[in-house]
Amino acid sequence: MTTLDTSPVARSTPRPRDQSRRTAWTLTAPALILMAVILIIPVGVAATLSLTDYALGNPGFEWVGFENYEKLFTRTSYAKMFTATFTYVLTVVPLSVGLGLGAALLINSLTHLRELYKTIYFLPVMATLIAMAIAWEFMLHPSIGVINQTLAKGCGTWLERLWPWLSGHCAEGMPLWLGDKRYAIWVIAFVGIWQGFGFNMVLYLAGLTSVHRELYHAAEMDGARSGWERFRLVTWPALGPTTVFVVTISCIRAFQLFDTIEAFYPIGAGPGKSAYVMMYAIYEKGVEQNLIGIGSAITMLFLVFVMMITVIQRWLVERKVHY
Amino acid sequence: MAQLALKNISKDFGDTQVLRGIDLSIADGEFLSLVGPSGCGKSTLLRIIAGLESQTSGQVMIGDDDVSGRRAADRNLSMVFQSYALYPHLTVEENIAVPLRMRRLSSLQRVPVIGGLMPGAPARTAEIAAAVTHAARMLEIEPLLGRKPGQLSGGQRQRVALGRALVRDPAAFLLDEPLSNLDAKLRVQTRAEIAQLHRHLKATFIYVTHDQVEAMTMSDRIAVMMDGAILQCASPDVVYDDPEDIRVAEFIGSPKINILPAEIADGGIRLMDRHLATVTGMPDQPVRLALRPEALRLDRSDAPLHGTVTHAENLGAEIFAQVVLDGLGARVTLRIDPANRNRVAIGSTVGIGFDPANAIFFDADGRRMRFEIALTRIPAPVA
Repeated sequence: MTTLDTSPVARSTPRPRDQSRRTAWTLTAPALILMAVILIIPVGVAATLSLTDYALGNPGFEWVGFENYEKLFTRTSYAKMFTATFTYVLTVVPLSVGLGLGAALLINSLTHLRELYKTIYFLPVMATLIAMAIAWEFMLHPSIGVINQTLAKGCGTWLERLWPWLSGHCAEGMPLWLGDKRYAIWVIAFVGIWQGFGFNMVLYLAGLTSVHRELYHAAEMDGARSGWERFRLVTWPALGPTTVFVVTISCIRAFQLFDTIEAFYPIGAGPGKSAYVMMYAIYEKGVEQNLIGIGSAITMLFLVFVMMITVIQRWLVERKVHY
Repeated sequence: MAQLALKNISKDFGDTQVLRGIDLSIADGEFLSLVGPSGCGKSTLLRIIAGLESQTSGQVMIGDDDVSGRRAADRNLSMVFQSYALYPHLTVEENIAVPLRMRRLSSLQRVPVIGGLMPGAPARTAEIAAAVTHAARMLEIEPLLGRKPGQLSGGQRQRVALGRALVRDPAAFLLDEPLSNLDAKLRVQTRAEIAQLHRHLKATFIYVTHDQVEAMTMSDRIAVMMDGAILQCASPDVVYDDPEDIRVAEFIGSPKINILPAEIADGGIRLMDRHLATVTGMPDQPVRLALRPEALRLDRSDAPLHGTVTHAENLGAEIFAQVVLDGLGARVTLRIDPANRNRVAIGSTVGIGFDPANAIFFDADGRRMRFEIALTRIPAPVA
């Protein structure tokens, strides 16, 4: 049959390898062009602009080298930006992942009312955050807010003796919550957890359906007596891929925090810039103050963080949690 | 090792009765198979013995202990699952060690990293490692110890699952269709290995299967289950040669037993209005006459029982021919020696003969009928 392959008939086709290569490029082109136009070129533009002092409307710009980046790591307002961002991320990610897993395990163990609980926990995810922020703002209002009114009911009771923090505030007046720089970022983190864990719960519920039932029986036969032992031996390893995904998504969403801050503090990012997170900084510099250079520099930094998380996620998925 | 006993076990799922008063005792060191078609309740029964399912009523005894209310982890039984149920994140070595780690190490000693520093932990860990190596050597899976289940073939996984079951010394081994995920060749090989393992360990095995060949080849006794009840529990020979119920006769044996309609009339057994044998003291009634394929033999084509060959399966050492009987329309299977191959061409007419002493009789309800028959005439060639 080899003689047939080298026959004039086979050779008369004009270089089939070249042709298949051309076909491959033609078929890949739409995806490549789209990726270049909406992803690679904008990132390249942002990276270039971060090295300039460009402002929208200016006819030209000056190259400033790494000056913008230098500002990011030396000025106090950017130090505040990093503090606020990392406080938020490091609070919201573990708690929303933990609560999501806990809620999923509890709901999974129910025989009735599963759908009801799923809906209740998922509602904040579906709700418009701006509207929810206004509701929270009312609840957190220093004098007429339901939270402080509830806390004030504890004043003068045994609760005050048990809880020094409450007795302090009973004497000095209830906290300002959103207006106090000690509390502002924590309150925002609380709203972030409340809003985000339902999403993680849904992902974990999906992950739990893939756990093989017979593994629990095997664990029981092998002597795993407590729920914790079964969780350690079967559930947690089986949820590995889900956990990596949930943590990554939660991290990226936490880094992207913007709308709550914008709703609570339309100007200034909280008392003493205590809620000055990265997204807000990008918006403030790049859009409000038209300092495209510095805005692009923060954007590039933001991109680096997200890329790092994604790379870690890929590594974990490939190395550790796919058995 | 211990003997097991089931006393009047029943199980209902809502209105459906899955098990109806099962009584069974399994001797120490016995290999007992629970065999039956899908949905007969055999797996449920095994899971009740294991403690993974609770019975509606009845008792499970291990030795002299009533373990009915005790949870699976406290019954000291090992189980091999149909899906093997290996922990996918653990290596083969760690998988096999799990039952020992769970039982011999305290929860503090099992904590990663610091657990190994707890008093007594290093000695016990060494003990466990030795037991795992011993089990792995017995099953010849030592080279696989460092791999994860995902990197193993079906047969290897099956061995690891066996290893995890036999690494400790349980009262009995429960096997839930462990061979059903293997290909045919590997199944035959593993079948022999499990039987050997049983002889070597001298342990009590309870083996659930829907494959009567597995049950026949491996067991000391077979319990044939149907519709939630044990129809017969006896040695493979007895179940095959002397079935108590027509359903047992039909389920055990491949190809299936041949069943022909006959009747007792005027003190004789009649098949197709021909007198076969004389019986005494039996009322007139329709009966079913069952014959194993090997009980039938080829006869001259003018024999009283004759028919047309519709299909022949040559298995090399033997041939199974299917013949549609003239007059009865019943299809029977008979085993033929390969020497007679040319006599069973499809479409040819063959005569069939048998010895009535080899026939098994059942009444109209399918229950076994036992009576003395006196042979008056063997339906042999007339001339």
